[in-house]
Amino acid sequence: MEKEKPQLIKIAPTQEGYRWVAITAMLLAIGIILHTVSPNVGGITPNWTIAMYSIVINLTRPTFKQALGIGFIAGLTLVPSSKSAFPLGNIASELCGATTCCLLVKAMCMSGLENWKLRPLITGFCATFVSGGVFTLILKFVLGLPITVWYKAMLPLVAVIGVLNGVITFLLFKPVRKLFFAQGQEENE
Amino acid sequence: MASVINFKDFYYAYINEKLVLRDINLTVEKGSFTVVIGPSGAGKTTLCKAITGIIPYYMGGSYAGDVEVLGESTKGKRVSDLSLKVGLMLEDYESQLVSLTAGEEVAFSLLNHGFPAEEVKERTSKALEDVGLPGREDYQLDELSGGQRQRLLLASVLAVHPEIIVLDEPVSAMDPDGAESLYKLLSKIHQEYGTTFVVVEHRVEFVLPYATNFIAVKDGQIAAAGTCEVVADQVYADPELRVLLPELWQVRGELAAKTGAHFSLWRKPADAVDELKAQGFEGGVQAHA
Repeated sequence: MEKEKPQLIKIAPTQEGYRWVAITAMLLAIGIILHTVSPNVGGITPNWTIAMYSIVINLTRPTFKQALGIGFIAGLTLVPSSKSAFPLGNIASELCGATTCCLLVKAMCMSGLENWKLRPLITGFCATFVSGGVFTLILKFVLGLPITVWYKAMLPLVAVIGVLNGVITFLLFKPVRKLFFAQGQEENE
Repeated sequence: MASVINFKDFYYAYINEKLVLRDINLTVEKGSFTVVIGPSGAGKTTLCKAITGIIPYYMGGSYAGDVEVLGESTKGKRVSDLSLKVGLMLEDYESQLVSLTAGEEVAFSLLNHGFPAEEVKERTSKALEDVGLPGREDYQLDELSGGQRQRLLLASVLAVHPEIIVLDEPVSAMDPDGAESLYKLLSKIHQEYGTTFVVVEHRVEFVLPYATNFIAVKDGQIAAAGTCEVVADQVYADPELRVLLPELWQVRGELAAKTGAHFSLWRKPADAVDELKAQGFEGGVQAHA
């Protein structure tokens, strides 16, 4: 007769201490490379960096402070390759994008949407929209553009890129999760 | 013989997964060369990870029971604490190589453990010599062949002088000559230092001449464990596990079942030929019958 299964003790993995740093660094690096080589089609280029940190945040669910760190580093990496009139605006916009993504992920997890398949798509879109919105708003002030240019021309473009980024985040989330979190029975025997 | 690894009513499940190991009660004897066999997905690798402390404390999950290594529970121990006692070589050994040169690679773990520079140099040189790579301290890793890189990793493990070395399918990607050569080397280390070896292996024929004990894992449970003689008979009796036995032992089991004759445990084809000749099997089973 089979023995009765004892009460199992649940423990959190200790590996998570630094793993999020490694994953963030790797994905941001990939994001920078893709950001540099991606062609501009009809004025629209996906923002790979935002897509990558959205994946990271969805995967590792960092604290608010850690998300600020991720956003700051992501912004810094974009400054040297930025072709905009105010490259430093990337730091502020990515700080906003990363924290938006972090807050959304936390809110979704708390409201039972932890395993919702569309979570990466929604968070990827929102992070991009907020980040792009902030960046273009900064540009509007720096260049002294009228507010109508911002919300009639810039924001719709940001929304399109947001959709594109949401789709990228959604499509890449699963393979990346499989790559970094291959802990199931199949992979581990 | 004293035991160095003890599993006591051990259960384990990865995070959000079903149980991978169930009711594991197991003892590995000091100085043994234990081979772990089992179908894919049976829990062999997870069993090895439990010995090195990677599960449950590093990877997290749910567990019950305990694993003792060298008399001490692995509970709450970091992988780095255990790595002084237990060395691990993964199937994907390349993922464990972290340095640019062979010398740096071997020295890496020693330096992390705080060994003095003189001792690091001495141990590095000795470990490289032990694995047949003497004087290669300054070689870049890409100057070494795949087999040499695997031996380099073995040198890194040996340099720490662990009492137990766990290897997960070390010859899975090797040609037969490479596989034989690696097991010869492991056997030499086993005899020279009395290190306890636990090896997960699908290609059992290569490790057969050196194995002292076997563990058969099936569906996360121990199906058989003990000396080769005991496990060979028990595993042969299970049609699902029988195919995992080395071909020599499958033939032995089949012959024994057909003729009722008793055979010793063949380690090499030559042993089988000699014994079959001695028992009058020349010309086939039917001739004997």
